Amino acid sequence: MTVWLRQLRLMTSKELRQVWRDRPLAIFIVYIFTLDIVIAAGAGSRDLRDVRVLVHDGDHSAASRELVYLLRPPYFRLVGEVASPAEALRRLDRGDVMLVLDIPPGFERTLGQGHEPARAQLLVDTSRAIRGYLAASYVTQIAEGLGASIAARRLGRAGAAGLIVHEPRIWYNPNLDPAWFLTISELLTMMTVACIVLPGAALVREKERGTIEQLLVSPLAPFQVMFSKVLAMVLVTVAGTAVALLVVMQPIFGVPARGSLVLFLLLTGVYAFTNAGLGLVAATFARNSAQLGMIVLLLVTPIIMLSGTWVTIESMPAGLRAATNLSPLRHFIEIAYGILLRGNSLGELWRPVTSMTLLGLGLFSAGLWRFQRQSLRI
Amino acid sequence: MSPARVVAIARKEWREIVRDRLFLLLAFLLPVLLMIVFGYGLTQDVENMPLAVVDHDRSAASREYARHYVDARYFRFVGYLDRVDDAERLLAAGRVRVVIVIGQRFERQLLEGRPVAVQTLTDGTFINSARVVQGYLDAINAGAGGALQAAALSRRLGVSDVRADTMLRPLRLEARYLYNQELRSIWAIAPSLIMNILMWTSPLLMALSVVREKESGSIYNIYASETPRVEFLLGKLLPCAGISFIDAVALWAMATGYFGAPFTGSAPAFAAATLVFVLATSALGLLISLWVRTQQAALMIVVLLGAVVGMHFSGMFEAVVSLPAPNRMIAHLFPAMYYNDVVLGTFLKGAGFAETWPDMIVIGLFACVAFALSFLSFHKRVAA
Repeated sequence: MTVWLRQLRLMTSKELRQVWRDRPLAIFIVYIFTLDIVIAAGAGSRDLRDVRVLVHDGDHSAASRELVYLLRPPYFRLVGEVASPAEALRRLDRGDVMLVLDIPPGFERTLGQGHEPARAQLLVDTSRAIRGYLAASYVTQIAEGLGASIAARRLGRAGAAGLIVHEPRIWYNPNLDPAWFLTISELLTMMTVACIVLPGAALVREKERGTIEQLLVSPLAPFQVMFSKVLAMVLVTVAGTAVALLVVMQPIFGVPARGSLVLFLLLTGVYAFTNAGLGLVAATFARNSAQLGMIVLLLVTPIIMLSGTWVTIESMPAGLRAATNLSPLRHFIEIAYGILLRGNSLGELWRPVTSMTLLGLGLFSAGLWRFQRQSLRI
Repeated sequence: MSPARVVAIARKEWREIVRDRLFLLLAFLLPVLLMIVFGYGLTQDVENMPLAVVDHDRSAASREYARHYVDARYFRFVGYLDRVDDAERLLAAGRVRVVIVIGQRFERQLLEGRPVAVQTLTDGTFINSARVVQGYLDAINAGAGGALQAAALSRRLGVSDVRADTMLRPLRLEARYLYNQELRSIWAIAPSLIMNILMWTSPLLMALSVVREKESGSIYNIYASETPRVEFLLGKLLPCAGISFIDAVALWAMATGYFGAPFTGSAPAFAAATLVFVLATSALGLLISLWVRTQQAALMIVVLLGAVVGMHFSGMFEAVVSLPAPNRMIAHLFPAMYYNDVVLGTFLKGAGFAETWPDMIVIGLFACVAFALSFLSFHKRVAA
């Protein structure tokens, strides 16, 4: 047993050394756990900020100006005023602005008389549908808020009768800070890619170079050959994640870790194991690294896209939603966000933890089984 | 330079591609599969969010108010809960995303003509859907509350409901949604996906074809031959760009046919821009596979660069003008952003050559620079 363990340890350190010596690869690994997360926190932000607004003010009154100046930073940026609606449309077409606020002549008068509602028009570029919808609903809220305050002045207490005030509370990320969400999602995404690709590539490389035959004639069991690759990946991932959390995400972006960090790193290890298993299964199907690249691409993309950070799982068609249970990432997303943001403990996470572990054991066994069969044939 | 030799190399390249069944299958299947996965994966419509209601009042008015949320198609009603504690537990477990809490004296306060507060709890873990849900909640509350409020005012002042409504909401903003009236996110996602998918499949195919040559050692034949470097590189580039162009046509057909995105602009302008774009992205793949030593690293870099640029620096999710300054600069360095403008323009905004030619020129420049750099970094002499 001790010999067996020593062999495993030596093989694992050989794998680690191989990663370290392949400089572009080593740099890539350092990058995904540090700089990449910083970039992602800024780049992918779908926060509604700096929405560019163009104004066509046909009224030039105090009321129209009041409405225009309610569109304030950080949400909105007024980029100017145009003389004609046609000019505004041209700017919209060019993608230069997202919103055009069009205030017709007589706006202030209608508002003052109060016989009928004063109307203004908002042209919204909805080629980015959700952003457009959000921007439009912000402006609508602001405008109606202005209207409501005018009404409240006029009507006094009578106007407040039957008013239902919406008091929203947002949990786990009260300010909806995009960095909290984005840094975790980027970490999980890149971790997934690396954990699947690297062990698979290491195995295929041994096949290509023929060193696999040396390993097979050595006194190593196929399990040791496979498991050392997985173990190396688990170690790299857990270490990288600890760095990402403690050096980047917490100090720079203030991402909270409300649950137990130890539990999180432990489950990160299990997740790395699960993905490494998937990478090894893929590697047993590939003859060379080019083929592996293609296979991995076909696996990784749906896993990342359909697992729940990008898309809302609840909104998916039912069949697709069921299929996402086969993705290890879908379970790990619940675990990671659960521990870090919601402060979940193991008791609340038993379901995703069980699914992920079972998937991992199944994948690793499948990889081992296929590898053993192939090595017998050599 | 002899065109005949370029053609000969391109034909050799083509034959190699055709004979590698797996490669051929993936070259044409991969983009189509990605289109389906991304098409569903990136649809950001938020629907079926699990919702629970804690109704402390249990009155006719509170039930009527809650019905507005329960019946909305954005939410999937999970059930009434007795206590806020239960709601908190379900939220923590991720089983519910939204909880409406109606206080004890809801009906009485309404009847007495006093303002009432209703609390909503939203799971903010996934900020994108949380933000959209906030919009829904505000809108539903305004709709449900507005009617109640107008009725109360008209009773009190003895005016018509319409008049009461005008008094309460003297200012109206009418939003007109351009380019995508039905707010279907797939209409914009599907066209942008043509850009996004080509941004990495096209360099990937190119890199794979260089890798194959290096792997089998057939590159030494080229080193030893009289073929000038330009001809070899062109001969490799053109077939790969050709495949990517065919892929682009297939993706276009899927975007319009399968996902139902409207194509309102000029097809020749779209085709021309696509041609320049696949040349640029193939040249990018060529450059990377020449620069990076190991094949594994080349593939990885190509895929990641393409994916990151296509997602974050292309204007697919957020207009490039509203990105933070450093990201905006990075975006300008890659062809993705310019092509995305062309795609969205020709699909949704009815654009033609007149609107898109500056973008095409920039993409073309990128192609030339990437190709020139490839030429400069490709040496026939093997490093000792």
